[in-house]
Amino acid sequence: MKDAQQHDTDELRHHIYDGIQEYDKRMPNWWLFTLYGAMVFAVIYWAYYHWAAHMTPGYVRVEKQIEEFQKSALAGGAAPTDAQLWKMSRDPAVVESGQKIYMANCVACHGQNLEGGIGQNLTDTTWVHGGTPTDIYNTITKGVLDKGMPVWGPVLGAGRISDVVAFVISKNPTIQQPPEM
Amino acid sequence: MSAAGNVTVEYNDKIVRWFMLAAIFWGIVGMLVGVLIASQLAFWQLNFGISWLTFGRLRPLHTNAAIFAFVGNMMFTGIYHSTQRLTRTRLASDFLSWVHFWGWQLIIVGAAITLPLGLTRSKEYAELIWPLDIAVVVIWVVFAINFFWTLAVRNEKSLYVAIWFYIATIITVAMLYIVNHLQIPTSWLHGYPIFGGVQDALVQWWYGHNAVAFFLTTPILGIMYYYLPKAAERPVYSYRLSIVHFWSLVFIYIWAGPHHLLNTALPEWLQTLGMIFSLMLWAPSWGGMLNGLLTLRGAWDKVRTDPILKFFAAGVTFYGMATFEGPLLAIRSVNSLSHYTDWTIGHVHAGTLGWNSFMAAGMFYWLTPRLWGTKLYSTRLADIHFWIGMVGILLYVAAMWVSGITTGLMLNSVTPEGVLAYPNFLEAVNSVRPMQHMRALGGGLFLAGFVLMAYNLGRTILAGRPVTTVIEVPGGERRMREGLTLAQSIFNPPVIYSVLIVVFASLWGFTGAISSTVAFVLMIETALVAMIHMSIAGARWSDWYERLLESWLPFSILTLVAVAAGGMIQILPLVYSKAAVDYEKAAQHVYTPLELYGRDIYVREGCYTCHSQMIRSLVGDVLRYGPSGRLGESVYDFPYQWGSKRTGPDLSRVGAKYPNIWHFQHFENPRSTSVGSNMPAYPWLFRQTADFDVLPSRIRVLRTLGVPFPERSVAQLREDFDAQGREIAADLAKAGIEISPDREVIALIAYIQQLGKSAAGQPPQTAKNQP
Repeated sequence: MKDAQQHDTDELRHHIYDGIQEYDKRMPNWWLFTLYGAMVFAVIYWAYYHWAAHMTPGYVRVEKQIEEFQKSALAGGAAPTDAQLWKMSRDPAVVESGQKIYMANCVACHGQNLEGGIGQNLTDTTWVHGGTPTDIYNTITKGVLDKGMPVWGPVLGAGRISDVVAFVISKNPTIQQPPEM
Repeated sequence: MSAAGNVTVEYNDKIVRWFMLAAIFWGIVGMLVGVLIASQLAFWQLNFGISWLTFGRLRPLHTNAAIFAFVGNMMFTGIYHSTQRLTRTRLASDFLSWVHFWGWQLIIVGAAITLPLGLTRSKEYAELIWPLDIAVVVIWVVFAINFFWTLAVRNEKSLYVAIWFYIATIITVAMLYIVNHLQIPTSWLHGYPIFGGVQDALVQWWYGHNAVAFFLTTPILGIMYYYLPKAAERPVYSYRLSIVHFWSLVFIYIWAGPHHLLNTALPEWLQTLGMIFSLMLWAPSWGGMLNGLLTLRGAWDKVRTDPILKFFAAGVTFYGMATFEGPLLAIRSVNSLSHYTDWTIGHVHAGTLGWNSFMAAGMFYWLTPRLWGTKLYSTRLADIHFWIGMVGILLYVAAMWVSGITTGLMLNSVTPEGVLAYPNFLEAVNSVRPMQHMRALGGGLFLAGFVLMAYNLGRTILAGRPVTTVIEVPGGERRMREGLTLAQSIFNPPVIYSVLIVVFASLWGFTGAISSTVAFVLMIETALVAMIHMSIAGARWSDWYERLLESWLPFSILTLVAVAAGGMIQILPLVYSKAAVDYEKAAQHVYTPLELYGRDIYVREGCYTCHSQMIRSLVGDVLRYGPSGRLGESVYDFPYQWGSKRTGPDLSRVGAKYPNIWHFQHFENPRSTSVGSNMPAYPWLFRQTADFDVLPSRIRVLRTLGVPFPERSVAQLREDFDAQGREIAADLAKAGIEISPDREVIALIAYIQQLGKSAAGQPPQTAKNQP
């Protein structure tokens, strides 16, 4: 225990508290650097963001970010047409993907077999908010707040909504192939 | 009295024994509740459909039991035992000591009854209703009088570092507790806090963060400074490190509270202060760890064999780990990932299990044989306790890291097309199910170790008899005079420089361009002058400090000044700028009587323990929940409900998103609408009727607090209340549900359906964040 012996030669403070003694060793340099370094950082950070006014409120920042996101999202392509959605509904891979999304997000209100419940029945012949593939697409994207249908556009996005529409069409015989095909 | 004028001092060790036994008992209770609620997250069935056993009501019981009952009693054990020895004085008053003991235990029993009944203020670690709050303040004052009176009649001239930390604890907890519990009663069991919305959020986390600082940290550091050198039989490493880390810790800690509100609607300057002060807190915290660990130099061989030192060494190491993780999590960008997730919970438990409970165990193992004049029943069992506890903590914390980071990444993740990668919140919750099991297992192991300790100590106690320590104090060393007058302690270079630097820094931060430039220059200049002055006059300064240590009252006053500064500079501007609050173009809708009633049910059921009402200014949050939260949207919320954890989704804009029937079915059986949900069912809401009679006094109090309720007579209120209930019941009837309009669930649905509604009736529509 060489280390310990060496430390025992250091001077102890004169005061003893209930048998407890104290050294008065130098504070480790790296520790002091951490202490002072954090303080210097704090001053610089404040100076840059608040003194030099480089701070924008969070809600402004996030709105800009979202705007940019949506610009690039729109560049990705226009909303799908009836024909495109119909074609997707004949593609088993798309329908399967749509089914998965349906089971995760829609099943609670529209039922295991699309029979409805809190939400509308999707297998019958009545389409309250329009029965073309693009009508269904728009209903999902924009929601029907008065009837309790949430807005799914920003949550699911165009791709996933198209898949769900394809799945729904594939289960509903009332929706016919669009004439232009 | 003996011949040489010596005085015999008999310590009050009985009170120490009682506090220790209480700490062990409440420790087991608190941890047991913890294991239960951890299991409820993994298996929702464990809520049993019984109101007082649901997660939302038991989670506050767990935190309050662990903090105030377990650590509280443990702290009183250590403070009362060590202070008597460090001052060579019996506790000033046996009567006050017993009032303190029984008062505290009765408060705990009161908490254990009221919290499961849903009597809560819903502010974290400040949930107790106002009669209990008053009791806590009274008992804390009793404790303070007993402690400071003992210091005043002490037989030891100088105050040891442990005492400094005890002083800081007692003063600061009193300050925090009183301010955060200011409220106006509406009945014997209910009251509204005087702060609302953002003010309430800020005051809450000024309190909440510093409950961690001054209830779970500073007293335990004091305990470390007494019991660790005692057990290691080594001198403390560095006196000057003690000085620097004590003062920097107590001054800086207070400012860090806003880091609990990063990326929320809290004004940016407060968020920045919260972050930079948290970073500055790293070194002061590690100062305590270093002084503890380096005191073990020369005693590391004993750590191998002595379980007490094992607990201390591991406890101090966990303290170091948690106080490194804390500043890390307080960095804005890291926090955008970690906030609202299990990572925060894991961080807290590294502190409470690793630091508090291990330091407690070390102290109990050290104390018990000495207080009962015998040997520890089994060192082997203590060793096993250590290793079981260690494995328990590691499982717990690792599970929470994985769970927190996983859910954080999933919920924030956005695809290149600009939509959420994981649109279904439950996908994230269910992806960490194995972690929830591991967490319950880790907590269970930790509890098992603790029970083992209780058994071991019980056997030790049965083998011994209570012993009381008696010492002789030489006549000439009694009743020490104070070393400094108040004026001498304040008008001294170290204090004056510190005050000037803080004043200039505040002027720099808060004033206009020219004056802030001047203040900035003066701040830097004062700091430089102080450093030069110290290098010349350092010896005189340390003389002054030695004399300050001989003066308990000036020391305590300086401590109060140091801890009060941060809170005042952060909170007062927000309180006094009330009239000029930037509403950010969003004013909140004023609750109807039925909605207000529903809100009080929301509070009662502890919904805030799993649901936030604050959408952060982050892309993931905005895409998932809508426009980010604005200050104006919660101005009428007494107390605020921003929340701190999302086990379920944010609710601040959930109103009108789903039809009433959806909520009805969701409260009846959450899994019917949300497949895979772990939310408990709330069958009692369908049985219990809403009691209108409590409302008039509540509305009266809220009007006093500034909520612009329209002028209505009690009869009119009743009419509004009933009419809205009938409306919702009629809507449900259309969907085929028959329910009486006076049921609690109707009020809760009324509240939920207006969430996100502004005075204008619409959520803020800014930019193109709405489709």
